Amino acid sequence: MRYFGQKLVQLIIVVVAVTFTVSLALAAIPNSEERILAVQGVNANDEEVRNATLDELHLRDPLIVQYGHFVQDLVTLDWGTTFGGNQEVRTAIWDGLQISLRLMIYAQLLALLLAIPIAVLAAYRSGGIFDRLSTTGAFGLISLPNYVLATVLSLIFAVRWRIFPVLSEPVSFFDAPVDHVKNFLLPTVVLALPLAATYMRLLRADLVNTLQSDFITTARAKGLSTSRILFGHALRPSLFSLLTAAAVNVGALVGGSVVVETAFSLEGLGGKTVAGIFSNEFRLVQITVVVLALVYVFINFVVDIAYGFLDPRVRAGRALS
Amino acid sequence: MKHTTRASRRPKIALAGAALAFGLLVAACGGGDDGGSSGTEAPAGSEAPSGSDAPSATEAPSGTDPAKVPMPGGTLVMGLEAETSDPWRPSEMVCAISCHMVARSVYDALMVPGEDNVPHPYLAESVTPNDDCTVWSITARSGVKFHDGTDFDGAAIVENLSRHKTALLTGTAIKSVTDISVDAADPMTAVVTVEKPWCTFTWYLTGQIGYMASPAWLAASDADEALRNQPVGTGPFVFDSYKPGESYKGVKNADYWNQPYPYLDSIEYIPINDGLKRRDALKAGDIDILHTGNGEVITEFRNSPDEFPSLEITKNGETAYTLLHVTQEGSPIQDQRVRCAMAYATDNALVNEIVSFGVNQLANGPFSPDQVGYLEDSGYPLEQDMARAQELIADYKAENPGELKISLATTTDATNLVIANYQVDFYKEAGFDEVTVDQIDQAQYIVTALLGNFQVFQWRNHGGVDLDQQYVWWHSSSSLDVGALALNFGRIKDAQLDELLDANRASTDPAEKKQIAEDVNRLFAEQCYNIWGSYQVWMIPHKPGINGIEANNLVLPDGMAALEGAGIAGTFYPATVWRES
Repeated sequence: MRYFGQKLVQLIIVVVAVTFTVSLALAAIPNSEERILAVQGVNANDEEVRNATLDELHLRDPLIVQYGHFVQDLVTLDWGTTFGGNQEVRTAIWDGLQISLRLMIYAQLLALLLAIPIAVLAAYRSGGIFDRLSTTGAFGLISLPNYVLATVLSLIFAVRWRIFPVLSEPVSFFDAPVDHVKNFLLPTVVLALPLAATYMRLLRADLVNTLQSDFITTARAKGLSTSRILFGHALRPSLFSLLTAAAVNVGALVGGSVVVETAFSLEGLGGKTVAGIFSNEFRLVQITVVVLALVYVFINFVVDIAYGFLDPRVRAGRALS
Repeated sequence: MKHTTRASRRPKIALAGAALAFGLLVAACGGGDDGGSSGTEAPAGSEAPSGSDAPSATEAPSGTDPAKVPMPGGTLVMGLEAETSDPWRPSEMVCAISCHMVARSVYDALMVPGEDNVPHPYLAESVTPNDDCTVWSITARSGVKFHDGTDFDGAAIVENLSRHKTALLTGTAIKSVTDISVDAADPMTAVVTVEKPWCTFTWYLTGQIGYMASPAWLAASDADEALRNQPVGTGPFVFDSYKPGESYKGVKNADYWNQPYPYLDSIEYIPINDGLKRRDALKAGDIDILHTGNGEVITEFRNSPDEFPSLEITKNGETAYTLLHVTQEGSPIQDQRVRCAMAYATDNALVNEIVSFGVNQLANGPFSPDQVGYLEDSGYPLEQDMARAQELIADYKAENPGELKISLATTTDATNLVIANYQVDFYKEAGFDEVTVDQIDQAQYIVTALLGNFQVFQWRNHGGVDLDQQYVWWHSSSSLDVGALALNFGRIKDAQLDELLDANRASTDPAEKKQIAEDVNRLFAEQCYNIWGSYQVWMIPHKPGINGIEANNLVLPDGMAALEGAGIAGTFYPATVWRES
């Protein structure tokens, strides 16, 4: 419980730091006022209109007051509308978040489904043909930029064979399950393959070490089956690196899949952030950054807690401390 | 993103595309004339003959294969080159080509350019001037209702035009309008008074200023911002849904006043900025039709006419060029020698061949061969003359010691960056000490131009039939200070140019107007106000079985077919499109 409390305090500190930094970032942007006025179509030479617009956005208040307004709006979900498009920022972010979360979950699941059995097999026959082939293949996938993979897969499966669309649409699974799969499969595969390669290599390395442990030798001596030893005894304590990498990638995938999102015309959270930066949608960018930070912090918090469940030694370590 | 760059000249570049489009107001493209001057007879043809009827449902519009009878039904998904408007209120739209495509679904313009290169009444029943073109009477077509049930009448016209009059952008275009009011004797008629003779006023009613929105919706959207993206017009398709940057959908207006249009049940527009991706989307079947100015894509679709039939538009189109801010304080570009050195240093043939696959014709002025004012020899250098460029720069530097630096702006598009890199090479070879390249996102690009925050800018504009359509881009009355939104992006202030533009505006004599336009062309060549690139070719490739995209399929109420090219390059009239199955 004390450990949980410590982590919660850390979480709050990070959130305050992020929101404060994001709130002040606007003031640090060169000509931020002019940019906002321009994108809103406000004549910068008209003092009255100019001041009214800046007041409405609290841009002429002291920084600490601006932060106060920012936090208040954030907490009350009064996120306003985009400067261009008059779209609710809340709606824009929610739309993007749904796409990014789906992509993240699908990609993680596919990557883990591919990585775990391959890594287990490769580690079991370490140095064998399968191990060498899978390791080489993983190197290839890790070194292949995802925009290349996206382009190649899109050209083959969408443009040439017309199995999948070039422009993916965020179709709901419950409305049209087949269309949903068709629209999300290619971007998921593009995201998942390099991830699977990374996960496979991490897990394989940890498994090779674990398989040399005394308790594995004991298990073998007790006559347990190979699959029982691999999946029942060796896998769980070998998951640390994989879990850490997967957790880090959760945040990265939610906000950082811009290339893949762009390649398949899926406007997720990352894509919205980049578009927002280019079109001076500062409010959208600010809130998105905070949402992404919250996702990162929350996932890491969950992972920290999960470590204890994965390995009794962690729990024991905490108990001793 | 800001960086100084030097490009290596690559023999083959697999990227090509269009420069930025900005077809605000009435940037007309197309035209059935073969270079004559018939298109300059403005007001004469603007009265609808009495008894004009809408075409009957069985009538095949001109330009249609008689063997093919339009079939109602179906849906059309179009890939647009950009998302360029929001809100969708006519007086606030920042309307490029893609925006006009969408706007034509939901709105009707008061007038539409006819095959005879003259604006004809469309949503308006008639548009008539007084003797000296200082008072215009615009009569609303009777029996027309907006999608929300509001009547279209003189008050609706007044409401729409009055909003334009006070709008930041379009207000500049109709600056000389002094009064807009409902005719006391006829509630269906709006009376527009202008401060000096304006015989070409009707051209301004064929584009953005002519789009009529429901006054009830305009009032409601004043109070509720969310409504501003749910347009209500009289057009062939009723607004259904809009997600900025993703999709705009309209459904058939079954009560459309100009029957038998529209044929389609629904239409959807999807912005896909990347020209190559737009092509792939068509090939994959994600979209049914697209528009493109990308040389690589045009070349590719030219080679597959059976799989993807296409309409190519080469007449009266826009000119791709480098826009110069010619009056910016402290800028070397104020000096004519520097500007002309940039013109002489540019190897347009090389850029056109490599970037546009040689699809476009090289430009020597603002007017393409089918536009009034085009000259085979305008005095502008069509070929690179680096020695002359270096001579001019050396001359300038002798009087202005110190480093000669300029900043060149382009979009984030890869093709435009390639062009910019060539320009950097050309200018440096001519003697510029430093040329920096700024990449600006397309959405911000237009705003940057409007604000005048640039020195050298890649641009595309000046399609149209009548010289008056260029008035707002070049007249000093729309050249405001840097920081204020102005349509004279280059902030040209030239008394001679003003005089010519004003004379053209007041004239109804085709010969005189032709002479004026040619003089304008020569003036631009002499002053090097812009660095001309090429005349833009547009293509509209589509799936087989899609018909009616030729603009002359639209039969105007007076029986005239609409102008080829649909008045604005790269567009068509969605009302006339139909599918075979």
